[in-house]
Amino acid sequence: MTRYIIKRIYQLIIVFFLFLVTSYVLFDAIPGDAFQSLLLNPNLPPEAYTRVEELFGLNQPLYKRVILYIQNFFKGDFGYSYTRYPKTPIELIAERLPRTLMLFAMVNVVSFYTGFLIGKILAWRRGSKSETWITVTSVFSYTVFYPWFALMMLWIFGYKLDWLPIGKFLYPETWYDSPYTSDEIFVSLIKYVALFSSVQILLFIFTRNIESISKRRNARLASFITLIVLSFVYWNSGDFVNQKIYAFNIAYHMILPVFTVTVVAFAGTALLTRTTMMEVMKDDFMLTARAKGISQKRIRDRHAARNALLPVVTSFIFTIVTIIDGSVLTETIFSWPGMGQLILDSVLQEDIPVAMASFSFIGIFALIAHFLADISYAYLDPRIRIQSQG
Amino acid sequence: MDKQKDIAKSIRRASIKKNWAMFKQSKLGMIGIYIVGFFLFLSLLQPFLFVTGIWNKGIYDPVVGYSEQFQDFLVVDCPKEYPTEKYKSRTDCPARNEINIRTLFYSDAQVGETIYQNLQPAPPSKKHILGTDPLGRDVFSQIMEGSQVAFILGLLSATLGVGISTLLGTIAAFYGGRVDAYLMRQSDLILMLPTLPLLFIISAFSELKVWHLAVVLGTIGGLGGSVITIKSQALQVKVKPFVDSARITGGSRMNILFSHVLPNVAPLALLFMVFSVTGAIASESVLSFLGLLNIDMSWGLMIYLAQVEGYIFSGMKFWWLILPAGLSVTFLAGGFYLVGRGLDEVFNPRLRKR
Amino acid sequence: MKNILEVKNLCMSYSTIEGEVEAVKDVSFSVKEGESFGIVGESGCGKTSVAMSLLQLQADNGKITNGQILFDGKNIVQLNESELRSIRWSGISMVFQGAMNSWNPVVKIGEQIREAIREHYPDKSKDENTKKILELFNIVGLDSSVIDRYPHELSGGMKQRAVIALALSCDPKLIIADEPTTALDVVIQDQILNEIRKVQEVLGLSLIYISHDIAVIAEMTDNMAVMYAGSIVERGPTKEIFSNPRHSYTKSLLESTPSIVGDKVKLKSLDGEPPSLINKEPGCSFAPRCPYKEESCNPLREMELIEINNEHYVDACNAGKL
Repeated sequence: MTRYIIKRIYQLIIVFFLFLVTSYVLFDAIPGDAFQSLLLNPNLPPEAYTRVEELFGLNQPLYKRVILYIQNFFKGDFGYSYTRYPKTPIELIAERLPRTLMLFAMVNVVSFYTGFLIGKILAWRRGSKSETWITVTSVFSYTVFYPWFALMMLWIFGYKLDWLPIGKFLYPETWYDSPYTSDEIFVSLIKYVALFSSVQILLFIFTRNIESISKRRNARLASFITLIVLSFVYWNSGDFVNQKIYAFNIAYHMILPVFTVTVVAFAGTALLTRTTMMEVMKDDFMLTARAKGISQKRIRDRHAARNALLPVVTSFIFTIVTIIDGSVLTETIFSWPGMGQLILDSVLQEDIPVAMASFSFIGIFALIAHFLADISYAYLDPRIRIQSQG
Repeated sequence: MDKQKDIAKSIRRASIKKNWAMFKQSKLGMIGIYIVGFFLFLSLLQPFLFVTGIWNKGIYDPVVGYSEQFQDFLVVDCPKEYPTEKYKSRTDCPARNEINIRTLFYSDAQVGETIYQNLQPAPPSKKHILGTDPLGRDVFSQIMEGSQVAFILGLLSATLGVGISTLLGTIAAFYGGRVDAYLMRQSDLILMLPTLPLLFIISAFSELKVWHLAVVLGTIGGLGGSVITIKSQALQVKVKPFVDSARITGGSRMNILFSHVLPNVAPLALLFMVFSVTGAIASESVLSFLGLLNIDMSWGLMIYLAQVEGYIFSGMKFWWLILPAGLSVTFLAGGFYLVGRGLDEVFNPRLRKR
Repeated sequence: MKNILEVKNLCMSYSTIEGEVEAVKDVSFSVKEGESFGIVGESGCGKTSVAMSLLQLQADNGKITNGQILFDGKNIVQLNESELRSIRWSGISMVFQGAMNSWNPVVKIGEQIREAIREHYPDKSKDENTKKILELFNIVGLDSSVIDRYPHELSGGMKQRAVIALALSCDPKLIIADEPTTALDVVIQDQILNEIRKVQEVLGLSLIYISHDIAVIAEMTDNMAVMYAGSIVERGPTKEIFSNPRHSYTKSLLESTPSIVGDKVKLKSLDGEPPSLINKEPGCSFAPRCPYKEESCNPLREMELIEINNEHYVDACNAGKL
């Protein structure tokens, strides 16, 4: 296992370098940028232009600039944003990242879980009438024209019914004299969600050892309810009492985007699960499971679905890669100021440092996600795990 | 020798027939085929209508046509506060046959009079099945034009992408070693790049037309993750005994590649092709929706125009500007996807019902 | 001794695109407690279909169209799914063909056996179950470390033994073994057969042994039945059938088996191939290939078993011949 990991890390580093070089060359090919348009200000003497060029090394040949860029990258120096001066790209990314993460972590988990559930049921009910039209509906929610659909959702829930806020992620009035910045709230929200999920996962693992099925189910239900109660206590204690209002504000704004994206995203997982399960159901061990006298539901969940889980989890990790990709549209339409909007704006405004920095960030993110996907696949499939050991 | 060829041909014909019979069994695939067929019909209908003169190009051309729709309007003065007895909310005034006096700039009509004005965008009528857009162009004709664009773009980029990935995948599988390692890392690199931002960047430095977009999408798709999948499929073929026997009987590597490996990889490649059409249609719509594409008419562009002119949030009042385009994208992309699912069932025996 | 299983006039068919396939036609036999019963026949003769129908495990397009299956006196054909589930494994269990693939690849062996036990004995504790599994492993000759192993870590023979342990885990009264040793080499085959025999003696189980290998049937079974194209053509005590085969098919089977004792003899084989069972015509299905036809042979007459000796049944047309 360790040998496999080391080999992958080594390849990762090479690919990342290639990525940096490629992205620099790509951005360089764009004619002009916001900085140049600033420099072309007629009030500046012409020497200023050449001096600035020399200062920033902009007149050097391409390969030297690439090297300079990589050096700066590892020093952590990304320059300044052209259009949002004097913020540095790092500041901007740090500001925007929690917002995107919060939204899309939620979306990914919910859509993955829903998709898996639906796909599991679909495959099991193969051939029935309900299966066909549910599958077709899933396909169409997968291929729906996303901007159009998001706008429709906004219109229905935000405007017509006035149930949910139309855009942005908070009501400025509520936050007018808040002692917290939105980043702090976001960070504490993320911490809470992470805490909740990890405790839940741990409990899950602990209750695996209980032999009787019904006792196991009761234990898990009880622990879940306890967690909910504890959450109430958590949010009413200490500093969190004050943060509560603002946290709810943000959470309230998250409902519509999360719901919209989930509707579109669950279908991918559902269809993949369905296909994988259909393949698994033809395997011989399914017959043995049936012969053992186990109930249909248990066969579906503990035998078929378990085996179908592997490719689905891998695709889940790959969809984490496309968080930022998908967030561009969502954030633009819902005016949710996050990473996606950042990269779209910076490319359209030709704010090169920010664009490059966020691009590189996405690249790192993608690499790590791929890496995690490989490792977790090797871990989940005991056949690969043992093979890589031996 | 000829007889052998005849036998081979008849076997192939019989197997195509059998595959078609199996495909017909898959409900999903059949629904998909009907949808795709419908849109294909639409895209062929338009040039047919123009050529045979049933449609006057001046009026019905999706880009430069113009259709006048004159109608009687009642002049009203929209109140500032809602709701009133006549109107429930702001969007209800002016109603269909009314016009707000504040929007009348060069007429001295008074409230309560009727004037004869040009109405754009016009609601669906006998002359225009789906109405007209804000510039007076027939929406139905636009849908058909968009259908043509979708098909051409989708099929072009899909073919290109699949061609590239099949070639690279089989080469990687067969020549192995350094070639394989390089190709794998290359597709890793492409996989890493986020598609949408990449398309934005590309559109920033070169004006994208339909052909360009097709090539770009095809190349990116072709060099990406599909190479890995095709390579693993080709590897499975490589280890089959008949490949070894072909080598022994003196077949060159290229020969084996074409006559043995490609036919076995073809089903997977076909599947990819169908699924990448879905992606291509979606990407094109998104790009034209954001205004980044230099294209005369497409479904995404229709929604872009609707949004830019402010018709999106008018809801159901101007439904023909929003719904047909959005639904077309959804259904055509979905139709191709369903066809892909049907093909999946034909090629992968484990997915069949029995 | 009581009959643990009685099959009466069982008929099963599959509906396919090309037509109805009558895989099992009018099959009747019975198995006593502690007895070992063999079913022999070539591939596609319906042996596995019979086995599957005993547990109602046939594929979705298969249906029992007629007949009764009396297990411990109760007819199990009409039972609904949940009643069937309680019989499965704790009443009748099965060792499948190609048992290597019977294992779920992502779950440990011990857990899979435990799952079966949990289903039928839900109140036992984890330790009790573990002890039981170790006992079973002892009987079949497996090391206790196998409990925590995954299926792909075991060899073919070990997986096979584990499958037998799985089949025994809920103390069934009847085990059906469908070609359990086909995929293994002869040495392992011998070992496994000995294990099965030992288990049967020790635990007093009934066994239905299905195979196309007539030599194994001879070794393992007390009574046997010969099947062809979905019907039983001869049935009776094993020793009797081997010493006094009456049906043409049985005779041909025995003649085609090589023997290491005696003179070198040219093996005889049958011309032709088994009939297609799709939309089969009525009548004797063996008639086209029968090498011992007489003038009295009427190919349109249905098969019918008649007793000629003590418990020895054979198709009517061979009953009068020698």
